[in-house]
Amino acid sequence: MTGAATATDALDPLIHVPARLRIVATLAVLPDGDALSFTRLQNMIGLTPGNLITHLRKLEEAGYLKTEKTGNGVASRTSVALSNRGRKALDSYTAALRDLLAGL
Amino acid sequence: MQEERQMDETTTADEGGEFDPKAASRLLETTKRRAQRQFEFPSVLLTLIQAGALLAAYGAIWLSVRGQNPYSGPSGAALVELYVFVAVASVAVGLEARRARAGVSRRASRHEWTRAVPFVAAFLSVYVLMGALRFDGFSYAIVYGIMPAAGPLIVVGAATAGYAAAREDWQLLGFAVAAIAVGAGSAFAGPAGVWGITGVSLCAVLVCRAIVQVWQRRA
Repeated sequence: MTGAATATDALDPLIHVPARLRIVATLAVLPDGDALSFTRLQNMIGLTPGNLITHLRKLEEAGYLKTEKTGNGVASRTSVALSNRGRKALDSYTAALRDLLAGL
Repeated sequence: MQEERQMDETTTADEGGEFDPKAASRLLETTKRRAQRQFEFPSVLLTLIQAGALLAAYGAIWLSVRGQNPYSGPSGAALVELYVFVAVASVAVGLEARRARAGVSRRASRHEWTRAVPFVAAFLSVYVLMGALRFDGFSYAIVYGIMPAAGPLIVVGAATAGYAAAREDWQLLGFAVAAIAVGAGSAFAGPAGVWGITGVSLCAVLVCRAIVQVWQRRA
């Protein structure tokens, strides 16, 4: 294992992936409790729907996100919000990243 | 942008790939800044549109009342111009709010309309007070000159300051306090001058707000 790999071990592996980092950082800008529609999140992040769903599922399984589906059929709408756990995880990740960069 | 897209594609295919902490830090900051800009309300452009509309609206009134002795109030054309600029600014606010909040659902959206209550009550209170002052025999110049120009700024500014302090929105709080100061200070200019001073001062305050917004984006 390299030195760099050991150092990055301190970073939450669920967030330390470019696409997921962008998802979490985007949702963290919204006030606590606000949710964002899947469509707008996709437009902002620029991922394909399939890719975005995969990443959202991983974050939701970890309890970092809450997704809610409203309506049926073509009128259905999925919204995504960062949970308290997700917000804390991003704070910890940011602090760990700062420590890591300060030590370089 | 190209770099970010490449990183996404690489890590989606192979999440075990190295993601440099420096690149992560840059990506985190860029993403946050971009998201803030997209959710930002009001935008810099909207603030500048409001500044222009206020200057034009108050300027139209000032041009129609300057030199009046005794003060007889603005002309019908100046009032029409005022309402046109207020309507333009309102439409711009509505469109901007729609852009910024597209796809965003709020936790307390069912009760969001209640936030408007203090502002509407404060605004209407000025007109009730004007009626009371006229009833009590105050001069036309005070009731229809100073009060409608300075009154709304003071009371709506105070309501906005309370709202901003509760939300810890320091930029809005600073703007609201500046509006109160403009309203109170411009009253010294008399029933005609108050319109000109208020228009120019409010325009200057909004331009300063736009500069602060640009500076915050770059910080």
